[in-house]
Amino acid sequence: MVRAALKLGLVAALVLFPFVVTSPYYLHLLVVVAIFSIVALGLDIVFGYTGEVSLGHAALFGVGAYTAGVLEFQFGIGFWVALPLGVVVAAGFGALLALPALQVTGPYLAMVTLAFGTIIAILINEMTFLTNGPLGISLTKPFFADLREALPWLGMSKPRMRDVEYYYVVVACLLATLVVINRLLASRFGRAFEALRDSPVASDCMGVSVYSHKVLAFVLSAGFAGLAGVLFTYSEQYIAPNNFSFDLSIGFLLAVTMGGRKSRIGPILGTMVVVFLPNLLADIELFRIVAGMIAAVAVVVGGIIAVRAPERRVYVAIPVVLCIGFLIFALWLPKITDYKLTVYGLMILFVVYYLPDGIYGLIRQALLRWKRAGAAQIVGSGAWSAISPDTVSGPLLELRGVVMQFGGLRALNAVDMTVMPGTIHGLIGPNGSGKSTMMNVLTGIYIPTAGEIRFEGHSIAGWKSPAIAAAGIARTFQNVQLFGELSLLENILVGLNHTYRGGVADIVLGLPRAAREEAAARARAISLLEFVGLAELADEEARNLPYGKQRLLEIARALALDPKLLLLDEPAAGLTAPDIVELLDIIRKIRDHGITQVLIEHHMDVVMALSDIVTVLDFGQKIAEGKPADMQADPAVIAAYLGTSHIEAA
Amino acid sequence: MQILAQLIASGIAVGMIYGVIAFGYQLTFATSKTLNFGQGEALMLGSLVGWTVVAVTGYLIMLPIVLAFGLLQGAVVERLGVRQAIKTKSEAGWIMATIALGIIFKNLAENIWGRDALKFPSPLPEAPLSFMGVNVLPMEVAIVVGALAMMLAVEVFNRRSIYGKAVVATAVDRDAAGLMGINTSLVITFSYALSSMTAAFAGVLVAPVTLTGASMGGVLGLKAFSVAIIGGLSSGMGVVVGGLILGITETLTGYYISTGYKDVPGLVLLLLVLTLKPAGLFGRATIKKV
Amino acid sequence: MRASNLFLTLVATTMLAGVASAQSIKIGLTGPYTGGSASMGVSMRDGAKLAVTEINKAGGVMGRQLVVIERDDEAKNEVGVQIAQELINKEQVVATLGFINTGVALASQRFYQEAEIPVLNNVATGTLITGQFLPPKEKANYIFRMSANDTIQSAMIVEEAIKRRGFKAPAILADSTNYGQLGRTDLEAALAKAGVKAVAVEKFNIGDTDMTSQLLRAKSANADVILTYGIGPELAQIANGMAKLGWKLPMIGSWTLSMATFIDNAGANGDGASMPQTFIQIPNTPKRKSFIEAYQAAYKVDRFPSPVSAAQGYDSVYVLAAAIAQAKSTEGPKIRAALENLQTKVEGVMTTYDNPFSATDHEAVTYNMPVFGVVRNGRVVAAHEEDVIGDKALRLKTK
Repeated sequence: MVRAALKLGLVAALVLFPFVVTSPYYLHLLVVVAIFSIVALGLDIVFGYTGEVSLGHAALFGVGAYTAGVLEFQFGIGFWVALPLGVVVAAGFGALLALPALQVTGPYLAMVTLAFGTIIAILINEMTFLTNGPLGISLTKPFFADLREALPWLGMSKPRMRDVEYYYVVVACLLATLVVINRLLASRFGRAFEALRDSPVASDCMGVSVYSHKVLAFVLSAGFAGLAGVLFTYSEQYIAPNNFSFDLSIGFLLAVTMGGRKSRIGPILGTMVVVFLPNLLADIELFRIVAGMIAAVAVVVGGIIAVRAPERRVYVAIPVVLCIGFLIFALWLPKITDYKLTVYGLMILFVVYYLPDGIYGLIRQALLRWKRAGAAQIVGSGAWSAISPDTVSGPLLELRGVVMQFGGLRALNAVDMTVMPGTIHGLIGPNGSGKSTMMNVLTGIYIPTAGEIRFEGHSIAGWKSPAIAAAGIARTFQNVQLFGELSLLENILVGLNHTYRGGVADIVLGLPRAAREEAAARARAISLLEFVGLAELADEEARNLPYGKQRLLEIARALALDPKLLLLDEPAAGLTAPDIVELLDIIRKIRDHGITQVLIEHHMDVVMALSDIVTVLDFGQKIAEGKPADMQADPAVIAAYLGTSHIEAA
Repeated sequence: MQILAQLIASGIAVGMIYGVIAFGYQLTFATSKTLNFGQGEALMLGSLVGWTVVAVTGYLIMLPIVLAFGLLQGAVVERLGVRQAIKTKSEAGWIMATIALGIIFKNLAENIWGRDALKFPSPLPEAPLSFMGVNVLPMEVAIVVGALAMMLAVEVFNRRSIYGKAVVATAVDRDAAGLMGINTSLVITFSYALSSMTAAFAGVLVAPVTLTGASMGGVLGLKAFSVAIIGGLSSGMGVVVGGLILGITETLTGYYISTGYKDVPGLVLLLLVLTLKPAGLFGRATIKKV
Repeated sequence: MRASNLFLTLVATTMLAGVASAQSIKIGLTGPYTGGSASMGVSMRDGAKLAVTEINKAGGVMGRQLVVIERDDEAKNEVGVQIAQELINKEQVVATLGFINTGVALASQRFYQEAEIPVLNNVATGTLITGQFLPPKEKANYIFRMSANDTIQSAMIVEEAIKRRGFKAPAILADSTNYGQLGRTDLEAALAKAGVKAVAVEKFNIGDTDMTSQLLRAKSANADVILTYGIGPELAQIANGMAKLGWKLPMIGSWTLSMATFIDNAGANGDGASMPQTFIQIPNTPKRKSFIEAYQAAYKVDRFPSPVSAAQGYDSVYVLAAAIAQAKSTEGPKIRAALENLQTKVEGVMTTYDNPFSATDHEAVTYNMPVFGVVRNGRVVAAHEEDVIGDKALRLKTK
């Protein structure tokens, strides 16, 4: 209710703005804020959700701007054609930019985007025949409809009417951007973006291809930058290559960081700060007033916290003192022009230090604390039932002579193994014997150097993780690989990604199919959580779970894939005794659902209690295979675990 | 032939400048997986401080003063910009903070030393040396020799001294090094100090050739960043070779293709390297452990 | 921080500022005061503020004081646009002086034109600047210029290089910004007019430290003179690069060869570089003498960082003041009309302005006015002594 009212109020304020404030200066500032906000909101997909730093968004913005500029300048084609084309062209460049992203992340990817941006800037400057080079392109703002006679009571001059009409177009684009991004990020795509940020390996193994989703994130993000670019060209009416420099990319990043990542309001707030900052820092009077206001707010907030939570006094005192110091600095400063960049830098530092989640992050935290009191309980919707796998006659999984070589180290040496359907197949061996390597080979994380792997009769050696996941092999990880910032429910929903048929278009347009699929997936996700006994915690962030529960959540997430084969990599490691009992129960129940399991475990009692057959590895070789009881007695196995000298002594 | 040799000679000089700055990126990345986006500004500050000091003391006495200044500056950057971000594991945090510090340093330098490029007095004669028709400035030779010597000195320090071993240990496995009683956060501070020291040294080394001034850091810092990525952030030797590759590519493209597109092949090369060998030409590819 | 709060603050300050200075006349002063081209912006600002101080001391204009609203455009187009909007709508300046960077001028001027507020470009030289809004397409053109545009400078450079000094094979080296590339276009056109084609046309970037490839290309094309369009530091790298290659050609280029950053950083290698100048730091008229002394005293410098920017900045204030006085109004159209028909002679540093503009001609500087300067021992002096003595010292606009 409150949210809806707020939204309505915001829209109304935007609609009424040109009639309340008649100064073209503020109208233009608001248009610029709206345009840059579109870029920042798009950047947030890449930066906030997939967690990659892009230093090339100014170039993507420039691509959109120049699409509009070139269309008008070379072909006389106007605004309405440029708008969709700008989006498409920029999105295409976004896809191009994402190509190297297959391989790299972190600073490397930042460098890719930076290099990309530089190349685009050089091309715009050099391709004079197309872009008019450094001369730039001039054009005029479109005048959509002359409503002066139809609406004489507005009393607008022609240029004013043109500006106001353009303002509405830009605001409409911003609102559309908000709706589209909201829908996408609330959907499976938003979850996939966050999943691949938190654990790329786990995403791939859940059938959510890191690569294709990264490309998608870049394409979407670039599309919005392109849209903003077109709007920018027609708003400024002059573009030149130096508009789209590295500094602008930094500005966009700053807007998102300062405002608050992973929100809609944050990037807009941040953009406002970044856009208003040069004005603010140009005028010493204004600067002093704002510094005074900041100091006043800091003192009030600090005072409230100091009274309510005395133990945090010292922690709170530092920023308050800094804010007051800032005010003194502002009053002392004789002239601001020369030091404005220093002030700018100090503000960024302040945000990084005290508002790591941005301005909106701070507000959201306060709001959450408010809300916590009355959080709703989610009710379960029936027990989970596996989609029972077709019965296969022969072996489900067959390994023949599998070799995995890392440089000089042979982690797996000609291993043969056969897993029969419906069994629990134990895989044991001392540390470094190659068990986890085997898991990684089976799930496509490593490509085997030689040998054959057949799953349901098909060779899957050399397949990528998402394809293997789609074929029906799910896994858990020795070092838990949850999507930490997603809730428990969302973690499961990532595993259920394969149940969706609708694409980006369904979600953006809000088609009924999208809603139906989402509802179905949520119901299944909750029943999976109930299966492992975590349903009450559905809305908790996964990283806040205790360790034992994290392992159970991983199992539930793997089951969401509807696997035929489930690989459990040391599920009992680090669990307490009662947790282990619960785990044994769950593993048995999974077998009862007809799902085959491969179990790596160091707890011998667990292996012995559960396994139908056990394979023993040592130094990458299979040294024994058979019934659990036989294995316990096998001299080679004992030798491997206790060392050969022991045998000799005995 | 003579032209080619001249182009390569100039490319080596330019490349060495990039390489020595890139070396600083590599130092901090090794220990902390972060790097200073204000590395160019560290170079600029070192160079400008050197410019002020050299007028009083002469070149040789100026060097230790600038090196000490660099150490201090790097430690400040780490304390103010990076420490907090490492603690909260925030990638955006250190990137934005080091960029912010860079902006602040640049603006302060503008106000202290003015906005103009300044001439840095050359300690060596400014007349070119000629080897078989290829001309090089004595200072360019000094850049190549000085850069190599400094990188060698840092490597030797890392291998031989106990402090250096702590640095290497932290680089290999920060958690394990911490468990062995190494104060890893001090090591990271130290690596930043060392990194800025090399940058400051690079600043006074290249300034007689490149001019100095508040805005000298920007372009050089960015070029060196791409060199560090081409060479591989995990390899000291890689950045030298990466620098040479980029420097020579630039001069050759400028001459044989077009001076307008001088920077493009280097960047394309960068993208190619990242696509085909993401860890850089000389970087070690790490095996994913799950 | 809510938008409405920020907005309220903005409104509040606007009103405060408005009340405080109802009696004064506000003039916008915009240029890059930080970053790479800041030395030109700061010199222009300092020159202009010197003139404002003098005028205010002498009683102001129409009995009202001049107030300068200075804004740093950082040489960025989009910042320039924002500043234009701010100066027009929030500060409500009566006119704006400034623009160092052609790109910023081209991006920002439209808003002044639409608001009918005159702009006096006092440093930017791109030829197109005064031609963006010509009648009859527009009612009137509000863009004026008080610097030697690129067409004039290119023609002078070609005249000097080809006709006066007899070079046959010029190579053009220009930076990759709007400034360099627009200048290069004008240079090529001027060369074509003289029947010569450049043997090499090369580019360099701001911040480039090595010019070997550009120079070797010029060398292998057998160039006999280097024509430049760039700014100080990179021009110095060209001079130093030639010294390194042991291949010294004369450098002739746009006015920026007189920047201190070129002269100091090129040192002996820069000696002999010559360029068109609207003002050389020589006290060969009484006004120049007093200006040089006043500037040196006010800013405690001996040699100007950018003498041309300072002089043009200074003069632009006097011309504008005369126009406001003549218009007896601070309304844009009236000031523009007064500028286009300025009755009083304004004694400036560059020249004495005798009706410098007309409705169709918005360039205060004509081809005959700048003289050739040359770098000698770290200073710019007249290239041809006879250009700056006697009746040639003060050059008036040809009609």
